[in-house]
Amino acid sequence: MIVIRCPYCDELRHEEELEYGGEAEIVRPAPPESVSDEEWAAYLYMRTNTKGHHHEQWCCRAGCGQWFKVVRDTVSHEVHEILRFDGTFSHPTEE
Amino acid sequence: MAARETGFRLDGGCLIERSKPLQFRFNGKPMLGFKGDTLSSALLANGVGLLGRSFKYHRPRGIYGAGLEDPNAMVAVRDAYGYEPALRAGQVRLAEGLDAHTVTGWPSVDFDIGALAQLGMRFMKAGFYYKTFMWPTWGLYEPYIRKPTGFGSAEPVKPRHSEQRHDICDVLIIGGGVAGITAACGLLGAGLKVVLADEQPRLGGALMREGVTINGRPGAEWAVEQQAVFEAADEIDVLTDTVVTGAYEGNFFTLLQSDHDAGGAGQAGGLRSERLWKLHARYVVLATGSLDRPLVFEDNDRPGVMLSSAVGRFVGEYGVAPGRTVGIFTNNDSGHLTALSLLQAGLHVSAIIDTRLAPESPGVEATAAAGIRRLSGAEVVGTSGYKGLRSIDVAPVGGGAAERIDCSVLALSGGRTPLIHLATHLGVKPVFNPESGEFICPYVPDGWHIVGDAGGFSSFAKAINDGLEVSAVIRTTTGAGPFSWDVPKLSALESAPSAAFWKSNAGNPARMWVDLQNDVTVADIELAVREGYVSVEHLKRYTTLGMGTDQGRTSNINGLAILAGLTGRDIGDVGTTTFRPPYTAVRLSAIAHIRQNDIYRPRRRMPAHDAHIAGGAVFEDFGWQRPDWYHANGADRETAVAAEMVAVRGAVGLFDGSPLGKIEVTGPDAATFLDRFYVSNIMTLKPGRIRYSVMLKEDGVIFDDGVLTCIDEGYYLAGPSSGNAEMVASWFERWRQTEWPALEVGIAPVTSNWASVAIAGPRARELLAKLNPGVDLSSTAFPHMSYRECRLGGVAARISRVSFTGELQYEISVPARYGHDLVDQLMGEGEALGIQMVGMEAWLRLRLEKGYLHVGSDTNGRTTPGDIGMGGIVERKIADFIGKRSLSLAFSGSDEREELVGLHAGQGRLAPGGRIMAPDAVSAPCVTEGYITSACYSPSLGKDIGLALIERGRSRMGETVRIYDNGGVVEAEICSPVFYDPDNERLRA
Ligand SMILES: [Zn+2]
Repeated sequence: MIVIRCPYCDELRHEEELEYGGEAEIVRPAPPESVSDEEWAAYLYMRTNTKGHHHEQWCCRAGCGQWFKVVRDTVSHEVHEILRFDGTFSHPTEE
Repeated sequence: MAARETGFRLDGGCLIERSKPLQFRFNGKPMLGFKGDTLSSALLANGVGLLGRSFKYHRPRGIYGAGLEDPNAMVAVRDAYGYEPALRAGQVRLAEGLDAHTVTGWPSVDFDIGALAQLGMRFMKAGFYYKTFMWPTWGLYEPYIRKPTGFGSAEPVKPRHSEQRHDICDVLIIGGGVAGITAACGLLGAGLKVVLADEQPRLGGALMREGVTINGRPGAEWAVEQQAVFEAADEIDVLTDTVVTGAYEGNFFTLLQSDHDAGGAGQAGGLRSERLWKLHARYVVLATGSLDRPLVFEDNDRPGVMLSSAVGRFVGEYGVAPGRTVGIFTNNDSGHLTALSLLQAGLHVSAIIDTRLAPESPGVEATAAAGIRRLSGAEVVGTSGYKGLRSIDVAPVGGGAAERIDCSVLALSGGRTPLIHLATHLGVKPVFNPESGEFICPYVPDGWHIVGDAGGFSSFAKAINDGLEVSAVIRTTTGAGPFSWDVPKLSALESAPSAAFWKSNAGNPARMWVDLQNDVTVADIELAVREGYVSVEHLKRYTTLGMGTDQGRTSNINGLAILAGLTGRDIGDVGTTTFRPPYTAVRLSAIAHIRQNDIYRPRRRMPAHDAHIAGGAVFEDFGWQRPDWYHANGADRETAVAAEMVAVRGAVGLFDGSPLGKIEVTGPDAATFLDRFYVSNIMTLKPGRIRYSVMLKEDGVIFDDGVLTCIDEGYYLAGPSSGNAEMVASWFERWRQTEWPALEVGIAPVTSNWASVAIAGPRARELLAKLNPGVDLSSTAFPHMSYRECRLGGVAARISRVSFTGELQYEISVPARYGHDLVDQLMGEGEALGIQMVGMEAWLRLRLEKGYLHVGSDTNGRTTPGDIGMGGIVERKIADFIGKRSLSLAFSGSDEREELVGLHAGQGRLAPGGRIMAPDAVSAPCVTEGYITSACYSPSLGKDIGLALIERGRSRMGETVRIYDNGGVVEAEICSPVFYDPDNERLRA
C-alpha cells in the first residue's frame, strides 16, 4: 500500500484515493517537429522502469484533484520526496 | 483397557456465559452450549470426539487444536446469516440455531467406506497419484478420484454482510496477550492513536489458560481490567474478534473483524457481518505469541491426541475437559504447566512423558510435588483405541520395554513456534535458533518491534518487560515523553526452552503423521528424500505437506526437522517455506464488500428520469440510466425504434441528452489552451459559434470527439462524448497542471449541472417557437452550428443548433432541476406536432444513416483523423496540438490503414463485428481486411447499412466485399458513410 501525503490538501492518502500518472520528468519536445521520429517515439514510449528511486506523477484524485511529483522507492514503496509542480518541495514527515 | 471416555463441561471458563445457553445441532443431533463457546469447545463438552475423516486414508480424526491451527475439525455450518461448506470448528463462534455437519466421511463419519483405503495404505505414498494415473492422461482419472475427496459441498450462497474501513494509526499492536497489553499500557497518554487487535473476543491471550497471577489476582482478570481502561481511553481502539490477515509494504495491514450475534431464547444467531480494515500504521508491535508444536510418533493421529495448548485453552477459556484422564507428552516445561492447570481443574493426569532424561525446573518440581507420575527420558511409541484414544504405549527413548498407560486425551507439547507470519509477509526470512528450537525473525521490518513469545522463547516476565521497553522506545521516537507506570507484579513459574526432540524413532514411519489434514507421514518424507526432493519447497509440493487449509501450522516445522535429519543438514540450512497473505482464509464477500450489483457502479439518473418513466421508457445502463426505447411508441423494441425514427424524420422527436459532457473552459488563455487539444483550428471560432472536432492522445490516435462552443471571448463549452465526460475533464486538468501551468485557464466540469434535451425533426423549429425563447429562430439568424442564450419560462437556457441525426435539431439546456419541467413542456406543446420520445437505439440508428461516427464504436485504438476522413483538416492546421507529431510517423501514412467507410447490403443482414474477407479468399478462415463497426436496418433506405473500418476503404468505393459473420457470409458494397441527405439540406433547413 502506497500512502502519500498530498502536498496541496495536506492529507495522508492511500493509493486507492490516488491516481498514478507514470514517470515524471518526461519532457515534451518543443517544438515537436524539431525532433527526429526516433526522439519523438522515445518521448512517447521509452520509460526508465526504475528499480529503486523513481520520479513519478500522482494525482490526489479523491481529494483536491491536484497533480504532484513523488520520489518513491519502487521496491519498498517508501516515499522520499514530494514535490509540487510549482517547484516547492515538501518532505514526508511521517516516516 | 479402560472404557472410552468423552469430554464434558467443568466449572470455570473465562470466555463463556453460563447464563446464556445456546441450542445447536451437530449432524442433526440437538446439543447445548453457551454463549462464548466455539463449536469445538461445545462439541467436546457434548462428548463429540470424532469430527471427520482424513483426506487421503479416511482415518478417524478428532479435535486437535483450539483455533485456526486445527488441521482436523472441518465442518459445514449454517447459521442465521449464511452457509459455509468448510470451516474449522475452532473458528466458529457458537450461536443459537447453528447447524453443523461433518464434511468428510461417506456415507457417514462413523462408517466411512473410504476407510477401506486404510487397507491399501502402503500403496498410496507421496506422488502416488502422479505416478499411477499418468497414462494416457491424468484428466481421464481425475473426476473419479476427486469424487470421494475434498471438504464439504458447495451451494449457492448469499454473501454475508460486510463493510470496509480505511484508517491510519500511529501504532498497531497485533495480539492482546500480556506483551501486547503491556505495550498498550505504556502508550497511554502518549497522544498516539493506537489500535490493539486480537483474534479472541477479549484480551488476555495465554493469561486465560495459565496459572499466572498479576498484582495478586488471576492474570485473566488483570487483562479484563486493562481492556476496560483502554476502552475508556479515546486514543486506543481495541479490536477484538479481529485477525490481522496480511502485512504489506509501507506498513499497511488488512484486518478482518467479525461481528457475532449469538442469538438466544429461540432467536437464531451467527456471524452477522465482517469488517475488513485497511490500516496503515507508523509503528507496529508484533505480539502474536506462539503456537504449540506437536510431537510425532506412531498412530499420533488418533482422536484424543491434541495440542497441549489446546487442552489448556478448552479448560481455561471454555470450562471444557476433552476427557477425564489426560496423558502429557512433552519435551519442555510447558507440558508440566499444562498438567498443573488440569490438576487444578479437577482432571486426572495419568502421567507426564518427558523426553528429557533429568528435567529440572520449577514446573517439573511442582508436578512432582503434586504427585503426578513422570516418566523421564521416555517417549510415546503407540496409541490404542479406534475412534477415540484409550491408552498410550510408552518406552524409554532409544529403546526398551513399553508400558501401557490409560488416558483418553494425550496432550502434546513439542516446543513453541513463534507466530511471525506477518513479518514474513514483508519478506523477512526466519532463521533457526538451535538453542530454543524455533524459527525467529533475524531482523524486523522498518517501524516494527517484536515482543514476547513472537520474538522467540520468552516468559511472562520477559513479555511484560518487552512491552514496556517497546512502548518507551516509541514514546521517545515520537517525542511523547517518558511515562511512569507501576510494573505489574507477576507470579509465574519460570520455564526453559524445549529439548531437541521432534519424533520418535521407534515404530512404523508410515503410521507417524506429520500433516494430519493431508495425511503426510514420516514415510512420505523419507520417500521424497529418496527420490531427490530435498528442497523444502519441493518437499511441500511433492508430499502436499502443509498445503491444507490449516496452512501447515502444526506440521511445517516438524516436516523441516525430519527433512533435516534425513538429509544430514541443520534445520536452519533447510529453511522454511514462504508464507504469504492472508494469514487465514478471508471470505470473498469481505473483499468484494458492497461493490456488487447496483453498488458496484452506482446508477446515474438523468434529471428528467421520472418523465421518461411516465413516457414508458425501457432503461439501459450507458454509464447513465438512459431510455433505450419507449413502450409508448410500440409493443416491442423494433416497432418502437422504427416509430421513433419516423417521428424524427417526419415530424419531431425528443431525446434526452443530459449525459453529454459539458466542460466550461474559461480565462484569457482558454482558446490557446483548447487549440492544443483539438485537431481543428479553435482560434478562429467566434462567439456564438460551434465547431465539431476530435481530440487525439499524444500517439496520434483518436481519443474523443465532440462539439466545442464559443460562448464568449475566453469562455468555451467543450462537449465531449457522454462516456468520456469525466476522462476529458481530467485530461484537460492534467495538461493544465503538469505541462502548461503558465496558461491562465480554468476548467469546470458541469455535466450534471444541466439537463440537455434535444428536439430533432422538420418541425423542431415550430416546437421551439412555442416556448417563446425570444430569439430569432430563422436559419439566417440562428444557423446550423451556432449557439444562443435565452430565457424559457423565466429560466436561463442555452440553445445549441447542432445535429446528430441529420435533421434540423436544437439542444436545449436548462439547470438540472428544471429538466423534468422542460421535458413535460416540450411533450405538451409538441403533441399537436406529432412529437415522440426517442430512445438511444433510434438515436444511434439515425446518426448511422447520417454517417456520423460514434467514438469507441467506429474508432479503435489505432484510428487516426486521416482514417475517418479528417486528414485535410489536420493538414490545414499549422499550430501544434496533442498527437500531431505522431501523425507524421510512418504508421500513420501506411497504405494499409483501415479507413471508415459505409456499407450497404442488398438482401443480407449486416451486424457489427462482421469481418471483411480478403478479395481472393475462398472461404473462412481467411485473411480479413477490416470489420463492421456499426450496422442497422435503415427505414429511410429500406435495407441494411453499416459503417466499417476497411483497409484502403476510401479508394474502394463501389467494390463489393464479402463479410464473414458467425459462420455466414454476406455481400455488401462499399460506399460513402453518409447515407442520408448527403448535401445537408435538412439539417440546414
Ligand atoms: Zn490533495
